[in-house]
This record gives sequence, C-alpha cells and structure tokens, in this order.
Amino acid sequence: MFQLNPLTKKKLRRFRSIKRGYWSFLILVFLYLISLAGELLVNKRALVVYYEGDFFFPTYGEQFSGKDFGLGYDYEVDYRELKRKFAKENKENWVLMPMVPYGPYEMDYRLEGSNGFSPPNFERSHFCGTDKTERDVLARLLYGFRIAMTFAMGYLVLTYLIAVAVGSFMGYLGGKSDMLGLRFVEIWANVPFLYMVIILVSVMPGGWGIGWQVSSLLIIMVLFSWTGMTYYIRASVYKEKARDYISAAKVIGAGPFRIVFKHLLPNVVSTLVTFAPFTIAAAISSITALDFLGYGLPPPTPSWGELLKQGVNNLRTAPWIVVSTVSALVFTLTLVTFVGEAIREAFDPKKFSTYE
Amino acid sequence: MNKVKYLIPSLFLLTNLFFSGCDNPKLKPPRSDSPSTEEKTGQKGEMIDREFARELAREFGKEFAIEFARQMKGAGSFSLSEINGSVEKNSSGGPSGILNDRGEAHPLLAGCSEDVLEFYQKHPDCFSIASTGDIPANLNWQEGTDEKEFSSPDAQKGGTWEVFMRDFPRTLRTIGPDANGAFRSYLLDYNVMSLTHAHPNSDGYYPGLANSWAVGEDGRTVYFKLDPKARYSDGENVKVSDFFFFFYFMRSKHIQAPWYNDFYGKDKFQKVTLYDENTFSITFYKAKPDIVERVSIRAKPEHFYGELDGEFLSKYQWNPEPTTGAYVALPENVDKGKSITLVRQEDWWADQKRFFRYRFNPEKIKVSVVRDYNKAFEIFLKGGVDMFGLAKTEFWYDKLPDDHLLVKNGYLSKVTFFNQTPPPSYALRINSQKAPFDDLNVRIGFHHAMNFDMVLEKIFRGDFVRMNTVADGYGERSHPTLKARDFSVEKALEFFGKAGFTKRGGDGILINDSGDKLSVELLTGYRHFEDVLVVLKEQAKKAGLELKLKVLEPTSAWKAANEKNHQVVFSAFNSFVELFPRFWEPYHSDNAYQESGDSKYQDDSSLKPGLTTKVSTNNFTQTAVRKIDQLINQYREEEDLGRITDMAHQLSQMIHDHAVWVPAWKKPWLRIGHWNWVKFPDDWGPKESRDYEEFQVFWIDQTEKEKILSAMEKGDPVSDKPTIRIYEKYKSE
Repeated sequence: MFQLNPLTKKKLRRFRSIKRGYWSFLILVFLYLISLAGELLVNKRALVVYYEGDFFFPTYGEQFSGKDFGLGYDYEVDYRELKRKFAKENKENWVLMPMVPYGPYEMDYRLEGSNGFSPPNFERSHFCGTDKTERDVLARLLYGFRIAMTFAMGYLVLTYLIAVAVGSFMGYLGGKSDMLGLRFVEIWANVPFLYMVIILVSVMPGGWGIGWQVSSLLIIMVLFSWTGMTYYIRASVYKEKARDYISAAKVIGAGPFRIVFKHLLPNVVSTLVTFAPFTIAAAISSITALDFLGYGLPPPTPSWGELLKQGVNNLRTAPWIVVSTVSALVFTLTLVTFVGEAIREAFDPKKFSTYE
Repeated sequence: MNKVKYLIPSLFLLTNLFFSGCDNPKLKPPRSDSPSTEEKTGQKGEMIDREFARELAREFGKEFAIEFARQMKGAGSFSLSEINGSVEKNSSGGPSGILNDRGEAHPLLAGCSEDVLEFYQKHPDCFSIASTGDIPANLNWQEGTDEKEFSSPDAQKGGTWEVFMRDFPRTLRTIGPDANGAFRSYLLDYNVMSLTHAHPNSDGYYPGLANSWAVGEDGRTVYFKLDPKARYSDGENVKVSDFFFFFYFMRSKHIQAPWYNDFYGKDKFQKVTLYDENTFSITFYKAKPDIVERVSIRAKPEHFYGELDGEFLSKYQWNPEPTTGAYVALPENVDKGKSITLVRQEDWWADQKRFFRYRFNPEKIKVSVVRDYNKAFEIFLKGGVDMFGLAKTEFWYDKLPDDHLLVKNGYLSKVTFFNQTPPPSYALRINSQKAPFDDLNVRIGFHHAMNFDMVLEKIFRGDFVRMNTVADGYGERSHPTLKARDFSVEKALEFFGKAGFTKRGGDGILINDSGDKLSVELLTGYRHFEDVLVVLKEQAKKAGLELKLKVLEPTSAWKAANEKNHQVVFSAFNSFVELFPRFWEPYHSDNAYQESGDSKYQDDSSLKPGLTTKVSTNNFTQTAVRKIDQLINQYREEEDLGRITDMAHQLSQMIHDHAVWVPAWKKPWLRIGHWNWVKFPDDWGPKESRDYEEFQVFWIDQTEKEKILSAMEKGDPVSDKPTIRIYEKYKSE
C-alpha cells in the first residue's frame, strides 16, 4: 500500500470539513451496510424461532422445511403462517420476524382478492405497497439497492483498474505506444455499448446462476466502458512525468514499475478520486436503465429498473411503485453527487498547487 | 462494364459447370423438375443455352442478360432474341393445351409473358386448358345461398377508422422477407377476397371471387365460376389465368418465401385446369373434408407483375399490388415512419355483393405508428384510436375500470364477446431430448409442479381458463374429456422421486444420488408474461424444482428454440381456424431428427443413439415416438371426417401421456374497449372472430361522433349508465 502524501491527507481533511458531502458520504455508507445486513431487516425468514424448547436461527444458511416445525409439508416454512399458528396454539413457542416480514421474491397472495398492486398497508407491513405479483416493493428496493451498489462498486474498481493500467502505460511510455494505444482506445470507444450488451446478454447461457449472470453483465459493461477514464489518466501521467521528482527518481536509477507505482500513481490518484462518485452514479443509472429496457439482470432479480418499468406502466393505477422507486433513485443519486462535489472541491488543485 | 468483361473468361467454366449439372443452386434452374430426359435429348445443347440465358435474365435482370449476350455473340452460345422474348416455339401444343398447333398461346393466356408460359409448359401435368364441354355435367354447384349474412343492414358507410400499429411496416409487399408484419393484415388478410370464404358462423362457405363452386366426383377437385364483375383496384378484371399465375408466383424462388413455395407446391396443389373465361378447377392432393376452403386461393394480378425476376423484392417494396378487396394503399397515402392511410375504393366491385355489402364500412383506415403500448392506450383514451384490445387484466380492471369517467359517461364501451376459435397455443414446451427431461417421470413431475391455477386466479383474475389438450378449440375434433395435469406438490415429488430425485438440498431443491440438482432453464421471448413465469418459478420451489428464467428478445428466443437449444420454452403458435388440428409439424419425429421416417427407431421402438437433431422446425418438444408417428401418418392420409376425429382424440391422448407439453391458458372471449361512435351488429361479431378487426362488420357513426365529442367538451354524460356489454351467444361452457 502506498503511503498517502501529506497533500492528500490535507485534502481528505478538507473533505471532512465540507459538511454536506461528508454527511452524504456517511449516510451512503450506512445505507449500504444496512443493505448488506438486509436479511436481518427485510426477510421472509424469521430471525428467531423458539420451538419445543429449542432456538432456531433461520436467517442465514440452509432452509428449514415445514416438517421441522410440525407443519405438514416439506418445502420451506412459511414463517408468517408459523407465527400465526404458534400464536393461536398459545403454547411456549414463538417466532420473531424481521421488521418487514417479506422476501424480495415472495408473492404475498394470502389475502382474498389480492391480485397484485396492493397500496401501502402498515397493518400487513407492506410499507411501500406491492408490485404486480404482490411482491413487497420495499424488500425489492432494498435488495435492489444492494445489488446496484455492489454492482456499481465492482464496476468502478474494474473500469479504473483497466483505465489506470492502459492510461499510465500510454502516458508513461509515450511515443509510438501512446499513439497506437490511443488509436485503439478511440476505436474501442466507438463500439456501440448498448448493442453489444444486448447481443452478449442474449447469447449468455441462462444455465448459470444469478451470481454468474450478474458478474458477466458487469464484465460486459466494464469491457465497453473503461475507455473514458484512460484519457484523463494518460494526461495526468503525462503531466506528472515531466515533473522534476520523476526525473530525480530516474536519475537515482528507479525502474519504470517503481516510478509508476511509487511516484506517479499516488499523485494521479486525486484525478481518480474526483471522478469516482460520478462513475458510481453513472453505473447505478446504467444498470437501472438496462433493467428498465429489459437487458439487465435476469428476472426475478430485484432491481430498480424493473420496478421503475412496472411503475411507469402503471402510473395511474399503482403510483406507489413509481413514487418509492423514483424517490429512492433520486435520493441515492443526490447523495452520490453531493459526495462527488465535495471531493472535487476538496481535491481542487487550485487550492493547493504552488506554481514555480 | 468491366464486370462483364471479367465474366467472359469464366463463361466456359460456367457452362462446363452447368453441363456437369453441378449442385451450385445459383446455377441451377429454379425449377429443377423440368421436362423428362427423353424430351431433352436431340436438342439438349440448344435447350441448355436458352435456359441459361433465361436464367441469367431471371437472376440478374433482363438488362444484364442482354448485355451479357452481346458480349458473348462471338462465342456463339446465345442469341439476343432468346432473351428478348421472340423465341421460336419448339414444343407443340401437347395435351396441356397451353399452346395450339401453331405454337401460339391459348387465347385464355393471351397476356402471358414468355417466362410464365414456359413455366406452364414445363409443368403440363399441373396446368392445362380444356374446353367448356369438359366440365362434368353432374356437378352440384353451390352458391352459399343458405348461409346467413353476418353483418348488419344498419351499417353506414363513411368516416375514418383510426388504428395503431407498433412499428412501421418495412415493406408493402404481402410476401417475401419482412412482409409478415402486423400491417399485412390490413392489406391482405382482412381485405383481399378469396375464391370462397369459410362462413364464420357455420361450417359452410360464402362466395368471394367465385360466384359458385362445386366439388368434383373425386372429392379433391373443386370447380369455380368466377364472378364476372370481379375486378382489381386498377380497373382490370380478374381473369381465370390469374389463378394459373398464382402458382407461378407462389412457386417462384424470387419471392424468397420458402414456406409459400412449399405450401403451394405441386405435391399439394396438383392441377389447375381452365375451361373458359369464367370457369376453372383446382385439384388438391387429397379429398379432405374441408377441400373447398383449402383450395380457395386469392387471385394474383398477372397484368401487374408480368413475370418475376431477381428484382422482385426491391421493385415491389413500396409498390403494393392492385387488390380485389375494398381498401387500397396508395403510395401517396404513405407517410413513411408515421402512418399509412387505406382508402375505400369508390366503385368497389363487391360493394353490393351479398356478404360484403354491409362490411368494410369506414371510408378510410388510418393506421398510425405508436411504438409504446401504454402510450397507445393513452391516445385511445383521448379518442385518437377508436378501439383498443383490453384482454390484459390490468387494462380491463385497473386502467379502464367500469367506473372510469369515460365509461360512466357513456363515451366508451367495454365489451366482452365470447368466441369459438382455436386459441393460440400458450404452453410450456419441454425438450424431451435434453436431460433431465429424457426421463418421462421428470416430465410428468414437471407438469405437476407448474401452478397454473394460481396464475389463472391471481394474474388473470379468473378470466382465462386452463387449456387442456394440444388441440383445444376444434369443436368435435378436440378431446372431450382430457384434462391438463393439476398442480400438486405430492404428485410432483412422487414422480421426481421415481426419476431418482429424492433428497432436498440446503436450498430446498431436489438432488439425486449423483448430486445433480433438479434445475432447468425456462426460455421465453415474452417479456410481458414475466410475471406468470415468476409465479411458476416461486411455486415450483415447493416441489423442489428450480426454474431458471431466461427472458430474451422475441427474435433471439425464437432462434434459440429453433435451434432446439432450450430445455423448456414458453411460447405460443397462432392456430388457424381450421376444421381439424395439425399434428405433423409439432409432433412428428421427422421434425425432430434429420434421419427420416422409421429409420430412427430400433426394433424395440426406442430411438437409435446418435441421431442428428433437426433445427428450424416446429417440433419444439423433440417428440419422436414410433406410435405417434404412425398415427400422424395415417391421420394425414385420412379423408373421412369421423375417422379424423377419432384419430385427433387418440393423438391428443398420446401426446398427453408423452408429457412434453404443459398447456397454459386460453381466453374464451375477446375483450375490447371502443368509443361509442363505433357501432356493431346486434351479435357484435361472428362466432369465429379472432379479433375485432377480422371481419370488419362495424361502422363509424359520424353524427354520434360529433355528439360525443361535443358532450365531452362540456363534460356532459351521453348516457346515465356505464356501457359495459357482454355477448354470450357463442359461449361454449
């Protein structure tokens, strides 16, 4: 790990002092952590079941079948039903459900005449209503957020890895490799991204698990969108390369790897950091857009794009879907943008550069 | 020019290849079933040169061929005249009667071009001309006089009927690549007249281009007498020779429509005979019970096409053929990318004809492009579209509920019309070739794991009913008692258990002894039915079955299924309104494997190992069962309706037992919303209506339209109770 130079530390301190951005950052991190522990808050599985003197914790791990709790079936227990049953029996057994007792895939067709699109109902703990197949909108929002954020961060890391590698290669070596590399990047950048995604998604074997499908979608998206950052990295590397300290390092006899990793990159990092939040925002929007168009995550993966599509198609009849999804989307993207603004301000070179 | 020069040295190569009868399809004459070899001998060289010249003209256009011949003059292989048309006739009249002794075309074929005549001559067994005296005297001529008209005499002419389409058509041809779009219906299917039409309320027929018809003694020849008034929209009369030309057209490779080439091929349509200006007959290969309908073709305007060549597609891309129907598409009414307006012919020849006089009422049909379905619905609510299909549950109940202001005020009607027609075959098609579905028990277990009851109840709110057999909706021919397998976790587990899937894994999905998960991929191109599949997926988990959904673009999904790469595909075919269902396409082993006929089976009737899958057929289930094959073969040969019925029942049962087809649902009705200025007959429509446009029996009441529009402006209701109508006359159950 390279050490942050005092200048970067100063920048980070400055970032903390920009209250709006800093708080947005904290909220965002908090929300993501919450979503990572989503199974404890929004889940169809119970947190704790006390049955015949034993404690069960079904949240994570293998599923319990109905027979494990004295029900007549051997598929997964319906814990809400179990809770009602225990309450009725009035014995010592009890079930503790999470705050929202629904999973993102589960269709709550329990109620007579429930045909999808039930409005928000606090009694039934559908705080944001349900979608077309009676799935809880809040559950899908939360798990959708988790997937979108994870996806966006994976996207960020991968695109930056490629962009930094290619960008510093071109910038540091310069000359012919720069010329050729740049032409390659220009050509690659002109491959129509959306068409490629559509084509590749359609030939992807569906036999893979959802995890694989999401990862391959991520890789496809990264493959066709790393080009944008290379220009900036290349330019920054070019600029830094001409500085005296690089010449000094060269004179001492440092090899290219040492120079790039030890000297160049720490100074280029500010460029990366300022762009990062906007890349995250772009990734969230593009995965949502792809889902909206139907080329994104395979159904029934919870996703904001899919919710948004349902919401738009049923704008008059089920406004709660579009309201909650759009609010969530706007809220998240606003937070990310605030963070981005703050970082940009904190890393503004005009504040710290000294010109000779 | 350079190109031509470049070609000269290769000529000898070409001719050599041609002589050696090479397999290159480009060089072969398009119709390889040309005269027998004996005829050819003696003048072989000449014939081939001439043929080659003509072939060039067909393939690359006349201009090219003439230029080519000019270049070749020195080599002495061609003469210009051969291409230009004044060819010497080298065959005598012969038994077909197409040419007389002097080598002139029969007067009935006066307008034929060289290429077309030659085609007829080449197939003397298909095309012949006889005299009036050759018409059998004892024919029982039918005119459809006993049939009742299914339209209303109250119908008013005039007004513009506003409809929408999702995409602008890529061509105004009705055949060939890209022609089979939604717009074609307005040009052809709803519009153009056939010789006769099947009556949509009875098993009879009513006259179209033909005034009368008669089935010959052999049961497979149908005689037609043309309506002398029959005319195309360009003023030309419909001639009997147009029905010769129809087959020239449909069998031409230039239309690039192999399906039609095959469908109208000579093994089915064996012979057309012309007798006089009005009378001709068509001979089918079998005496099917619905023979009249099968041979009731449409007229092809020979005067318009002349002959076909390699430029067919581009030439007629935006140049629609003259029509015998009421509506014409004129190039000036095409607003590219936006709309096409069809105009009713002022002096349409069938204007006063029985069965047609009260139909095709609007003066114009304006078909506009609206790409988004929900947007189209909003336009409908604003009055920009006159009718809108409300089959979808959320449209019927949520978006246009009975207490919607437009309905309450009497501006809009909601109509449910019970019809009787073979439904589109919505079903899960299991590929029985792919593991684990090569095991019958897994297939049956899969049937029991599909909770269609919940789909019907929750997603379609009980309005749809379960389809039960592979051939529902064919009246007597549908199996009367067969029922689809019900959803039952116990039964599913039992059958999965028999197949070795006995334990549940940690995620609740069944595994067998070797640790394989019971997990299958379900492919579909229907994004709008994603919710149905999600319900099936969640419910199947109860039975320990994991469904992995793969929702693709319709074309990609279709391609994947055509390549037989799927495990299960959810899809539907449109069924034809026919007397009896088809089994050969989807269930015969010849459509599953390339090895033909019985050679696929071992002595014990099991399939031989290492068979080659046949792609691009409708046998999505890869059904290959010897007994089913044998019965289908018999079924196709059978001519007696009673026995056909029995066999259809047997086949339905056998396919049910084979368990490759999980029937989904059918709609026993049509459900639409329409503005109240659109009026319908008292029965609303005929029994066999598949959609609200098909028979065009409605009309636009313009005074009513003005009334409603002005009332809407003021916000006054035009009626004090909502207009919701249900027509149950043809309700079957």
